[in-house]
Amino acid sequence: MEIRVNPTRMELNRLKKRLQMALRGHKLLKDKRDELIRQFLLRVRKNKELREQIEKELTEAFAKFLLARAVMSAETLEEALMYPTARLALKVEKQNIMSVYAPRFTWEQEKTTRGEDSSIYPYGFVGTSAELDTSIDTLSGIMPKLLELAELEKSVQLLADEIEKTRRRVNALEYVLIPKMHETVRYITMKLDESERGALTRLMKVKDIVRAKV
Amino acid sequence: MPVNETIFAYAVGRIRALETRLLDKGKLERMVEAASGDEALKVLAETDYAGLVAELASVHDFEKILQEEIKRVFSLVKKISPQPYLTDLMGLKYDVHNLKVLLKAKYLEETNHDILFPVGTIQIDKLRAMVTEENFRDLPVALRTAAEQITEEFAVSRDPQVIDLSLDRTLYDMLITAARNERAAVLEGLFVREVDLANIKTFLRVKRMGRNKEFFKKAFLPQGRLTADLFINLLEEPLEFLADRLAMSDYAAVVSEGVREWQEKGTITRLEKLSDDFITDYLQQGKRMPFGLEPLIGYLYAKEIEVKNIRMILVGKINGLPIEAIRERLRNVYI
Repeated sequence: MEIRVNPTRMELNRLKKRLQMALRGHKLLKDKRDELIRQFLLRVRKNKELREQIEKELTEAFAKFLLARAVMSAETLEEALMYPTARLALKVEKQNIMSVYAPRFTWEQEKTTRGEDSSIYPYGFVGTSAELDTSIDTLSGIMPKLLELAELEKSVQLLADEIEKTRRRVNALEYVLIPKMHETVRYITMKLDESERGALTRLMKVKDIVRAKV
Repeated sequence: MPVNETIFAYAVGRIRALETRLLDKGKLERMVEAASGDEALKVLAETDYAGLVAELASVHDFEKILQEEIKRVFSLVKKISPQPYLTDLMGLKYDVHNLKVLLKAKYLEETNHDILFPVGTIQIDKLRAMVTEENFRDLPVALRTAAEQITEEFAVSRDPQVIDLSLDRTLYDMLITAARNERAAVLEGLFVREVDLANIKTFLRVKRMGRNKEFFKKAFLPQGRLTADLFINLLEEPLEFLADRLAMSDYAAVVSEGVREWQEKGTITRLEKLSDDFITDYLQQGKRMPFGLEPLIGYLYAKEIEVKNIRMILVGKINGLPIEAIRERLRNVYI
C-alpha cells in the first residue's frame, strides 16, 4: 500500500514536499487536459465538416472520371493525363498546439509549363471526352482542401494521443500517487507520534525510578 | 474513284460476311441488362469475342480483349483490302497516339509505358528509336515536320498540351490531304465530318474553360467545312447562337440537341453520342454499295464503335453505374 520509507522526520519533510509538488502537478495537468480537449473538439468539428465536404466533392469527381473513362480507351486516357501541368511543392513545418507538435503544411502549386496561356488540362481535345475536363477541374480544386484536411487529421490524431497520455497521468496522480502519499505521511506521522509517546512514557518511567531511589 | 471498283469485290464479300457478326442492338441490350460485369462478359462470350473472352482471367482486364480485337480487325482489313494504304489511314490515329505517348514519356524521362496501341502502321520499336534519337527522318513528311516543331516548341513552353494539339492537327491534315489526293470521297467525307464535330466540341469546351480566341485558334482543326471565324465570332455570344448559325448545316440536329442538354444538365454526353451516331449514319451508305471502299471503312468504324460500346457497358457494369447512365451513352450500331 504505502510507500516503504523509514519513518523519520526527514523523510516526512521530503514526502510532504513531494506531495505538494504532486498536487500542483495534478492541477496543472488537469488544466492541460481540459484545454487539450477543448482544442481537440474544435478541430474534430472542423475536421468532420471538411471531410464530409471533400468526400462529397471527390465522389462527384470520381463519378465524372468514371464516365470519362467509360467513353475513352484506357490508352487514350492515360496518354491524356500522363504529363502533368502542375507541380505541388509541399513544405512541412511544426506547429505547437499545447506542446503537441503537429505538422503544418504550406504548399505552392507551380505550373511546369512556361507558356503564358497554358491551361491546367494537359491534353488535346480530339479523342478526349469533355467529361474529363470537369473531373480534372474538380480534382484540381480539391487538392488544397485535401492538404488542409491531412494537416487537420494528423493534428487531431496527435491531440488524441496526447489527451490519452495526459488523462492517464492525471488519473495516476489523482487516484494512486496522491492517496499513497497521504497514507504514507499519515503513517510516518503516526509512527513519529508513537515513538514520541514511547519516549515520553520512558522518560516518565525513568523519572519515577530515579525519584524512588532518592 | 479512279480505279476499277470491281477490285473490291473480294474484300466487300468478306466484309459482308463479317458485318453480320457485329454485335447487334439485342446483344448490347442484353449486356446492359446483365447483373454484373461477369454476366455481361458471358453475353460477350456468345459472340465473335468468344475466343478472346475465354483467355481472360478477370473481367477487369477487358481492355486486353478490346485491344486485341481492334488489332485483329485492322490487320484483317489490311490483308483483304486491295488498296491497303487507304484503309491504313483509319489506323493513322493510333500511330499518332503512339507518337504522343513516346514524346511525353521522353520528356518525363520515363521508359515504362504500356499504353501504346500495337495497331498503327509504324512499328512501335522503330518509332521509339526515332523519338529517343530525335531523328524523325523516316516518318511521313507531315508528321516529321510536326514532331520536329514540337521538339523545338516544347523545350520553350514545357506544355504537354502543345504536343496533343499539334499532333491532332497534323493527323487530320494528313488524313484529309491523303484522302483528297487519292480521291477517296468516303474517307474525305468521314474525316471532314470528324473534324467539324471535333471543332464543335472543342468550341463548347473552350467556351466553358473561358479561354480566349487565341487559344481556340490553336485547338481548332482547320480542314473542316466549318471555318474558324464562325466559331471565334460566337465565342463571346450566348450558346444559343451556335445552334442558330449551324441550323442550315448537316450538324443542325446534333448541335441543337447536344447544346440543349449541355445547357440544361452541363454534360456533353448527348453531343458526343450524337456525333458518333452522325458518323455512323454517314458511313452506313457503305452497306448499300456492292463494290468500293465504303464497306471496308464502314466496317472498321463499326468495329471501333462496337468496342466503344462494349467498353462503356463493361466499365459501367464493373462500377455499378445505373442502367440508364449506360444506355444513354451507347452509340447506335452500324448494322
